[in-house]
Amino acid sequence: MILEFLSQGPALLVKGKKRVLVVADLHLGIESDLDRHGIHFRSRTKERCERLETCIRETMPDLLLLLGDLKHGIPFPSRQEHREIPDFVEQLRSLVPLGIVPGNHDVAVEQYFELGELLPKEGVIIDGTAYVHGHMYPALSLAGMLIIAGHHHPMVCLRDEVGCSLRSPAYLFSPLNDACLGFPTREGEKGRSRVLLMPSFNELTGYDIMRTVKEPFSPISRCLSREEAEVLLSDGTFLGPIQALEGYEPDQQP
Amino acid sequence: MSPISNLDPRIQACIRTRGFEELSEIQNRAIPLVASGRNLILIAPTGTGKTESAMIPVFDRMLKERTGGFTTLYITPLRSLNRDMLQRLSWWCSELGISVGVRHGDTKAAERRKQALSPPDLLITTPETLQALFMGKVLRKHLKNVRYVVIDEIHELAGSKRGSQLSIALERLISYTGEFQRIGLSATVGNPDEMGRFLCGKRDFSVVAVPVIKRLHITVEFAGDSFERQAKWVSDTIDRFGSTLIFVNTRVTAEALGHQLFYRGDVEVHHGSLSRDVRIDAEERFKSGAIKALICTSSMELGIDIGHIEHVIQFGSPREVSRLVQRIGRAGHQLHAISRGTILALGFDDLLESLVIARRAKAGEVEDVIPPRNPADVLANQVAGLAVEYGRISKAAIMAILDRTYTFSGCGALLDDVCTQIAEHRLIRLEGDIVCTTLRARRYLAGNLSMIHDEKKVHVFDMVSRRTVGTLDESFVVGSIYTGAVFITKGQLWRVLDIDEGRITVEPARRVKGELPSWEGEQIPVPYGIAREVGALRRNRRFSAYHTDLEACGFASGFLAEMDKNRSRIATDRMIVIEDSEEAVICNICAGHKANEALGRVISILLSARFGTTVGIEIDAYRVLLSLPPAIRASDVRDILVGLDPEHIGGILQLAMKRTTLFKWKLVQIAKKFGAIDPDADYERLSTYKLTEVFENTVVQKEAYRELFSVYMDVNTAAHLMALVKQGDCAIERSRLSILGAQGLFSSRDQIAPPTPDQAVISTLRRRIDQQEIVLACMNCRKWKSHTVAGRVQDQPSCPKCGARLIAVLKPYEEPLFALASKKEKNSEEKAVEARLMRNANIVLSGGKKAVLALAAKGIGPENASRVLSTLTEGDAFYKEILKAERNYIRTRKFW
Repeated sequence: MILEFLSQGPALLVKGKKRVLVVADLHLGIESDLDRHGIHFRSRTKERCERLETCIRETMPDLLLLLGDLKHGIPFPSRQEHREIPDFVEQLRSLVPLGIVPGNHDVAVEQYFELGELLPKEGVIIDGTAYVHGHMYPALSLAGMLIIAGHHHPMVCLRDEVGCSLRSPAYLFSPLNDACLGFPTREGEKGRSRVLLMPSFNELTGYDIMRTVKEPFSPISRCLSREEAEVLLSDGTFLGPIQALEGYEPDQQP
Repeated sequence: MSPISNLDPRIQACIRTRGFEELSEIQNRAIPLVASGRNLILIAPTGTGKTESAMIPVFDRMLKERTGGFTTLYITPLRSLNRDMLQRLSWWCSELGISVGVRHGDTKAAERRKQALSPPDLLITTPETLQALFMGKVLRKHLKNVRYVVIDEIHELAGSKRGSQLSIALERLISYTGEFQRIGLSATVGNPDEMGRFLCGKRDFSVVAVPVIKRLHITVEFAGDSFERQAKWVSDTIDRFGSTLIFVNTRVTAEALGHQLFYRGDVEVHHGSLSRDVRIDAEERFKSGAIKALICTSSMELGIDIGHIEHVIQFGSPREVSRLVQRIGRAGHQLHAISRGTILALGFDDLLESLVIARRAKAGEVEDVIPPRNPADVLANQVAGLAVEYGRISKAAIMAILDRTYTFSGCGALLDDVCTQIAEHRLIRLEGDIVCTTLRARRYLAGNLSMIHDEKKVHVFDMVSRRTVGTLDESFVVGSIYTGAVFITKGQLWRVLDIDEGRITVEPARRVKGELPSWEGEQIPVPYGIAREVGALRRNRRFSAYHTDLEACGFASGFLAEMDKNRSRIATDRMIVIEDSEEAVICNICAGHKANEALGRVISILLSARFGTTVGIEIDAYRVLLSLPPAIRASDVRDILVGLDPEHIGGILQLAMKRTTLFKWKLVQIAKKFGAIDPDADYERLSTYKLTEVFENTVVQKEAYRELFSVYMDVNTAAHLMALVKQGDCAIERSRLSILGAQGLFSSRDQIAPPTPDQAVISTLRRRIDQQEIVLACMNCRKWKSHTVAGRVQDQPSCPKCGARLIAVLKPYEEPLFALASKKEKNSEEKAVEARLMRNANIVLSGGKKAVLALAAKGIGPENASRVLSTLTEGDAFYKEILKAERNYIRTRKFW
């Protein structure tokens, strides 16, 4: 199985027997929420659609998997979402088969999808890889696998001696503590479960990866291995173990 | 025939009551002009009866023709709405039976209601409150009676966005009342005609200026560079004269000097941070003679006519000619008397600067006030204001208003861009060419009447000592503070532990290069012309031509002689000197703050791009200090300067500024004026980093650049200077650190990060590889292995046991492979392992340290390491190759 990292997504192409293009956390309709909080931007749903279409055209996948939080408004879809999401989904559907694993913001998202497209929110296995949004305990059947998840909007901030030089969407890869997740113990070559946290497709959201690791807020983030977790940039560049990024003190001698 | 005799008898009576036997010169010239209905600019220093010069003839016309309230608007910035002026005007009004009211942000509701119901003939108000008048349905009606508008301190308004906003407001007024008479009161400026055009657009106007310059008597003295000696000089000088005003440039200095002179008992401190009662008390006591001297930071804050001032001391260079003229102009009683003032220079730079400023003051060479050019955020604010005022208004109608102003005439394309942008933020709605108001617009105006940006203060709480140690400007916190950041305040280093509502929690940090908080806006930039003349003076050393005493001359010549003795080159108006010091390279350039700021940033971004390092810069009027690693020397900086094409400076700066704190902060401020962000918005939700992206290529971003490049740095002058270098009119020399270079106060600090995010990634990679644990194993004798980190390995690792250089580099988890490969009896698998280790060691043998680094990277075995090494790249390029190889490994690695 090969992973292609598309930085202009960010998106992940999982190439096994099938080609699965994965994107997470589009949070369409976020502008309405920002509006309520005093920030007034125009809707960028169209731009996100175009960006996603470019990814599709570049990768020619067999399936586009929306890994949750397609929409943003809770507890119910906003007027903006009602206006924009149907066309958005229809446009994608015309290019490639769709699948959606609903996330915590996906209240009433079912109305925009067809029966075969809706996948279980506890997680689904496609072609030997597990997918889940990331806000819940993953289904037990996902044990021992590579679990690709969203929800955490990982963003890394690189600092040098004088401050933040780079803020970028990032991936967090970590082995998981099976017992912590309530997974049954297994023997055999399956090995430990691993998680690959994907960055958000939405360009306005982002949450410091260090905070996720130090102050976990979800079952998956609580069961990460701090010692072994690794960070990659959205283009697949390997940055290093999380410990290398953590607590870099500019005033310490290297 | 005196102009008095044409005035209404009641006014003549008042004049006699006030004790004026005759009018002042400015009053004599102004009154007939105002009486004839001319638009007028009146130029005179404070305390010369400027207000009366304008108001007496206005009162006269008001008496002759009563129209009902508001007949006259007297507009003044709130700061100068002083008690004395109010008292005087109120007195006149009550004597003449003219009703008067004051209206500004702090006016009580009851008073405002009264004014709406029964509008006073004379309304004293601020530019911001004028904006509010357009919004009130009842108040608007009263505007139709306006016949006279007097604008006080117009020189200050004209140079700022507040003035741009006011100029549109004046044209909006026309819609209610038709043309009215305009009178502007100004301090001495270099370009009075432009002030008139700013006030009147294309209309006619006259200028009446009082030549007060001739009456200035200015000397420059020097008392050494120790504060104690300087304070002693001040004390002695107070004794020499009578009542003295001492002007200093910062509040901190005012407090320090006040403290030093406290023992005298007749000196008080007066500045804006003190409470009103304290200030009034000081003013009264000065006027009564109870105290002899007042230490102040700005003449604006002095509330009343404080009586006779014998002498003015300017402590330290005043930086600008207009500032000096204004301050010394306060001395002297009547207009015929001489205004006496002395500048006490505090150091070498200060001395030369003071000499130059004193000469210019006496020659009348005062700085020009430059009104902003088409500021887009003011336009946004006013379009929103017009939308609320009219509900619906066509772009053509808006353009008609704008065309009558000086600042905005002909800006049709900008208007289109601005309307599109604010429509995007739902501040207005566009129906074709009609601008329509929205629900939010009124609320937006209520919070954005003013173009002044509210700077919130954020408290800094020290966890260790458990107390608040100071405050930071909101702009700085927004731009640069994050958990883990290190900064300096009150001379100490702090690390941020937490950020919360209006407060950051910190702990003391150790020595580091950190971002510094911005100064509290008290640094005045030295203009280019003055810095150039200082440079010329350094070159020709003709100090005696500059009206100063022997001691000062002696000091200046002596300093330069010392430079000569040390064989140090002296930077002048025809020479730039670049000096090496341990931690920094200092470029001595006599060009003033704004040009140096532009040059400094260009040099740093170019250095950064060439050498891949972050560069810290500090600027003053005569130096640019670059914090650089020791490998980068003055010669490198010189190469950059010599190779710099003046035409590229603007473009380079645009790129460079994008990632700075200052730019992001400005962007946020301007975005607020465009209605994108509410004043109380929780924009922590959106990092400023994202905001920069959202506004890419919009009119918001363009305005941020425009403001930065005109207010904070001077791109054109920097380009001009570089052109001089190219033509050979200005030389560049290198030198060791000199006493001149080592001087200097640093007024602004910022850090320039390398231009590409790549740098940050590469630094991270370098660090990671340096710290990567590895095992070195000798493939020759097979008897030696050692645990170490890649960074510590020598250029050509060798085995201490047998001396061979055939060393394999293993990751810690690969260590067992070494034992396997060294077994006496090996199966085929183990032989393959041995072969791989041999390949590994061979690469180390031929590639040395570079091979070690490559092999320490993630997932790179001998084949990939070999490929990386064969690219024959060095430095950052080498690390980029390693990144590429790692990326490839990540894609394909099996144990996903």
